Amino acid sequence: MNNPRFRQLLGRSVPTLILLASGIFFTFPLIAMARFAFQNLQVIDLGWNNLFDKWSFSSVTASFSDEFFSEALTLSLKLAVGTALFTLGLLIPTAVWVHLRLPKARVFVEFLTILPYVIPAIALVAGIVVVKPHARWFLNSDYSLIPFYVVLALPFTYRSIDAGLRSIDLKVLVEASRSLGSTWLATLFRVIIPNLRAAIISSTFLTVAVVLGEYTISDVLLKRTFPSFMAQYRQSDPRGGYALAIMALIGTTFLFVAIGVLSRSRSTKLQSNSPQLKNEILT
Amino acid sequence: MTSISFTGIRKTFGATVALESLDLDLQPGELVSLLGPSGCGKTTALRIAAGFEVPDAGIVSLSHRDITRTPAHQRNMGMVFQSYSLFPNLTVAQNIEFGLRNRKIEKTKRLTRVGEMLELVQLDDLGKRYPHQLSGGQQQRVALARALAVQPEVLLLDEPLSALDAKVRSTLRDEIRRIQTELKTTTLFVTHDQEEALAISDRIGVMSNGQLEQLGTPEDIYLRPASPFVARFVGSINELPNTNGSGQILVRPEDVTISTDEDELEMRGTTTRVTFQGPVTIISVRVDVVDLLVNVHAASGSIHTHVGDRVSLAVVPGRGIVEAA
Repeated sequence: MNNPRFRQLLGRSVPTLILLASGIFFTFPLIAMARFAFQNLQVIDLGWNNLFDKWSFSSVTASFSDEFFSEALTLSLKLAVGTALFTLGLLIPTAVWVHLRLPKARVFVEFLTILPYVIPAIALVAGIVVVKPHARWFLNSDYSLIPFYVVLALPFTYRSIDAGLRSIDLKVLVEASRSLGSTWLATLFRVIIPNLRAAIISSTFLTVAVVLGEYTISDVLLKRTFPSFMAQYRQSDPRGGYALAIMALIGTTFLFVAIGVLSRSRSTKLQSNSPQLKNEILT
Repeated sequence: MTSISFTGIRKTFGATVALESLDLDLQPGELVSLLGPSGCGKTTALRIAAGFEVPDAGIVSLSHRDITRTPAHQRNMGMVFQSYSLFPNLTVAQNIEFGLRNRKIEKTKRLTRVGEMLELVQLDDLGKRYPHQLSGGQQQRVALARALAVQPEVLLLDEPLSALDAKVRSTLRDEIRRIQTELKTTTLFVTHDQEEALAISDRIGVMSNGQLEQLGTPEDIYLRPASPFVARFVGSINELPNTNGSGQILVRPEDVTISTDEDELEMRGTTTRVTFQGPVTIISVRVDVVDLLVNVHAASGSIHTHVGDRVSLAVVPGRGIVEAA
């Protein structure tokens, strides 16, 4: 055990083994789900010998022809757009204000925005049930889901906008713009928003991911969103339901990859813009 | 050309008094520097002029027009900041054009003005570059061009050179002065660097603890400091015990004469350090328990003294100020 070479080998291999075990733990259920959804075989027949046999998209294409599929997907996409716009309209001015005028309140606002992550959605649902009889005029509309989605997405979206604001010299940019004759609104649209592009894209993608994955509230409010449709469809056609779930997962994964790529290009640009690095280059 | 006046300006941040009662007038076309240590209130005064802070009391006026409560975007002032403040999403030309668009100036005039400004700061070929493709010095030139493009009534410079290295700082300092003299824009320049203030200003206001200690020409400030604080803050100073009473006498190193003949002058001491700096040699002499600096200019002939030599010193008659105990 005291052999340095053995310890070196152990030091190298333990993290790899942990990573490998985690990978297997994460991917095996997904592979099993994909086989169930996309292989045209009886579940009882699934085995190692027919791992590559009879793969087909027929289960997912069948779900496309369901009368409610396009309606549910369209509603969810509309809700995603609405939620993203509402979130940005609410968060950008708030976060800018907090950064500029109430920097001491930043910790409190961060705490506030993380609450939807700490309190489960079911608690929000319990509240909705109490309020529902008094607010039917509002809750009857499909778009009544938007405020709830805004709250549910807050832990992710606020952090994204907040990180974007931290990465720019907000105070100086705002003051420079104001000294050049811009109103607050012009400063917001011509200076702040263009420089938060990556943060806004991240925030939007995260919002879309939350909307496409949220089931509890839409089910309680009896809205036929895409996640509700998937849950119902799964009851009549389990294979098709899981196929849709996998497709949604793949779509969401692409969104996160896009966020990663955009964030990386943004941070590279910011690094090359930093005064320290600039001085190093000059010297 | 515009004048700007601060009358009885007071500003506090919580319990901290940033400005006590500032009275300052900038004449049209004049460049005045506010010089002082960190926290003396110089930047607060500039921010009040820009409209980013509202004073608790007092009036800011622009050619006798009260602008104390006028919002920043309606003041028509140009400002250059300490940190690089160019908009990263816009090119150099678009940055310069920014203020002109806010003033709804037609496109052809805007483009002509951008060209003129680029020429003025000698960056004619860099209009299409983005800020991150420029050096620090170039970015500050663009910031200056952007501030001047709108033909501001007053130009405000908030330590614009402090983020730059020494060589670029010196070049850009001269360039700011050249452009300011050419355009005759009334300018308020905030700095903590005395050399910068002495080199660039028509007048200097030395500030301490929220108050203006002295306002005068660079020569006044250096040669005739109004207070011991100004004497100590601007240039090097020797502090000698006052033999004719209590307190101290403050004397510049160039106002002390030195002789290698120990008996020739009134004070005697031992050379502790000799630093040759080309045009001037700085000699440190210990007199009793006090170390005095003596500047010997090359033009006035060389003094051959070495560490450990006994020498004699005297203060040039009429120089030095007495600080009461």
